[in-house]
Amino acid sequence: MYRLDLFIRRLTMAPHRIRHLVGALLALALMVTPPAQAKALHFTADAESSQPLTIYGVVDPPQIYPLLADFHQRNPDIAITYHNLETLALHARVLQERDTPRADVIMSPAMPWQYQLANEGLSAPVDSPAAAAWPSWARWRQELFGFTFEPIVMVYRRDLAARMPPPESHAELLSLLRQRSAELSHRVVTYDPRFSGAGYTYAIEDARISARYWDLVEALGHAHSELKTTTAAMLEGLSEGRYWIGYNLIGSYVQDYVAEHPELAMVVPKDYALVLQRLVMMSRNAPHPVAAQRFIDYLLSAPAQRLLATRTTLGAVHPSIDGLGTAADLRKRLGEAIRPVQIGPGLLATLDTLKRQTLLEQWQQAFKNHSTYADGPLADPSPLPRPSQE
Amino acid sequence: MTLLRRWHLSHLSLYRRLMVWLLCPLALLVAIMLLQAWLASREAADRAFDRLLDAAALSIAEQVRWQQSRLWMDLPPSALEMLATDAEERVFYALYDAQGHFVTGNRSLPSLPTENDIQMNYGDVTSQDMPLRLGVLRARLEGWDRSDRFEVRVAQTREGRQALANQLFLASFVNILIIAGLAVVVVLLSARFALEPLTRLRRAIRQRNPRTLSPLELALPLELAELRQALNELLARMRRVRANQERFIGDASHQLKTPLAGLSARAELALRQSDPAAWREALTTMHGTATKTARLAGQLLSLTRLNNPEATPAKQTVDLTALARRCVREAFSRHHRRGIDLGVEVPEHAVMVSVNDWQLEEALNNLIENASIYGASQVTVQVTDAPARLTVTDDGPGIPESQRLLMLRPFHRGQETGDGSGLGLAIVDSIARAHDIRLSLQAAHPDHPERPGLCIALTFSSDA
Repeated sequence: MYRLDLFIRRLTMAPHRIRHLVGALLALALMVTPPAQAKALHFTADAESSQPLTIYGVVDPPQIYPLLADFHQRNPDIAITYHNLETLALHARVLQERDTPRADVIMSPAMPWQYQLANEGLSAPVDSPAAAAWPSWARWRQELFGFTFEPIVMVYRRDLAARMPPPESHAELLSLLRQRSAELSHRVVTYDPRFSGAGYTYAIEDARISARYWDLVEALGHAHSELKTTTAAMLEGLSEGRYWIGYNLIGSYVQDYVAEHPELAMVVPKDYALVLQRLVMMSRNAPHPVAAQRFIDYLLSAPAQRLLATRTTLGAVHPSIDGLGTAADLRKRLGEAIRPVQIGPGLLATLDTLKRQTLLEQWQQAFKNHSTYADGPLADPSPLPRPSQE
Repeated sequence: MTLLRRWHLSHLSLYRRLMVWLLCPLALLVAIMLLQAWLASREAADRAFDRLLDAAALSIAEQVRWQQSRLWMDLPPSALEMLATDAEERVFYALYDAQGHFVTGNRSLPSLPTENDIQMNYGDVTSQDMPLRLGVLRARLEGWDRSDRFEVRVAQTREGRQALANQLFLASFVNILIIAGLAVVVVLLSARFALEPLTRLRRAIRQRNPRTLSPLELALPLELAELRQALNELLARMRRVRANQERFIGDASHQLKTPLAGLSARAELALRQSDPAAWREALTTMHGTATKTARLAGQLLSLTRLNNPEATPAKQTVDLTALARRCVREAFSRHHRRGIDLGVEVPEHAVMVSVNDWQLEEALNNLIENASIYGASQVTVQVTDAPARLTVTDDGPGIPESQRLLMLRPFHRGQETGDGSGLGLAIVDSIARAHDIRLSLQAAHPDHPERPGLCIALTFSSDA
């Protein structure tokens, strides 16, 4: 995974400065880009003997609403309360309530954080036919299930095609940046991994997949690429014409946005496309385990997955669901290039404080092209939540 | 008591005994093997999975260095991924410095006691109610300026180990069960084969005619051949006993037939006469013969009774002096009429022996009678003490030494003269045998070749 050249580069890294908490909060709050929406959704039970179900999630209400409504229609005896939280807030709240959880079901796209919770034993196994049949690459231990399929994409303005061939893969983007660095100066936008948890996660995954990622970071730095912390900010800049190419945007948001902005085009990279999955799990000691099981079973069922594929941009995982917006469709088109982020202990490394500092320093160094201290000392990477014991 | 009996194996058949003695140890052996297999499979699973801990810890330790005045580590995700096998274990890691301070990790993990200077230690720990297998790697920075010690601790949950251990144990379990099954079959068959000659012997004995006493002719293994030998010896003894009995019955019939025939002839002769004086004479003769015959019949009866091995006489403590005196007193007048001098010599005090009194009286009467019948004129009954002994001495013709043993056989008479039935000494011998009394015959006056006389001694054993 880690090459020797990277190792040498690490040895010559600049010292870092004191962390500041504000940065951390900002980074994780902005990891996914939830537009300002209602914080909670309620569905009251119709039946006499109702049982409540509390869900903590990081899924925008417009995306989750069709699912909750459909589930409520099928299970009118369950009163649903859906709390839409930000990733860090969700993580913190789950840890805070670890002994007496209030949430029955927890959904989050922050895969390392969600995995850490499950690894700590805060999840409970789900025993249902749908859970048992769930593809093994999209689950862990019958406890953690990836129920969406959201590729990380590139976006370019359609008028770019007049000047140069739009990039279709990471390699093409790299050669484009190298050949036309002057033209593309300040015209490329991507996540700032120092301040965005999502950007950091993609950087780590990119670096794991290919060592040439560092060449790409170097080329991005050389082209004075702009760094943003949310997909929404990047899309906005692209739409306004400030940027021509956006790298590593969350596909589910892009899909919506591009539908309304015809001047933009979305590209799923052909050489490899990272795929993000929202992970759902049932709380250990969930107050309403039966309702929680029913909800997760529903989420993994064909009807819910069909809804995910048709009514949302989150993408369906269920192997029997075909058509646009499904894992099967993406796999058919891109084949081996699809790289879902593996749900496994490798994700824990992402959360390691020292690992994070090491990677970010390496990233900065590459981005600044071995720059001197002329442009000021390197920004301090924001700390990630430490394990609960610390 | 019944419980005790149940634990005794003597009431079980040989086959069942063999089964118990072979199958119980076999079951114990199987249990031990299963336990051993369980422990071994756990150990093997732990060994296999500890390698993963080892590899992960090493690959983490490789990334540890000194940077920014502290221990630094670039955690390789692959190190954690190698810990998660198909069983999808939970994985924990932590880096501690020389002072035992937590540097980084996803859970604080306990240390393990050091064993000498072994690099890697393993142990089972429980962390937050989660049973974990912990591996602690002690290492040292390899650098120019620093050589700090540090510890890499990695842990995983036990699901994979459990699954492998179960799988290994299942394989051993099936093997052990198959072996045990075969062993049981072999034990059953070999016990049957081993006991088969016994069955043959039983059948051979059962199928015999109850009247046959011929020896068993059967090919048998060594141990049973000895039994067959013993059986054949018993059969031979029984053949001899039966021959003796048949001869005894023949002799007895013969003995009874002669006086009866005499009686019949005498009566017939008397009936042809009409003289009452002749009748009287005949009746007198017949009376004498009948008396003798009745005595003979009585002796035969007592001999038969004495020879019955199932009738053991009840013993009482008897005073020999009193017994001798009583017998002599009863026989005295009868002998006195015949002109025989019957005397008794007894000590002052009582001599106590444990015998059946009527049988001993019978023996003594027989001895006195014998002496008088065979021509003695002086018979002395003597009782001596320490050891208790009863002696009957006469001055009759005696018995030559070569004849003495034969005299003890029924119907063997030392001489053709006299009125003896030939049973007297045989009866005495039988009684002596039944009472464990030593019977000895010897000449009373060996220096008197004409009439050496006979001294018959009954010596009581000291505990009798």
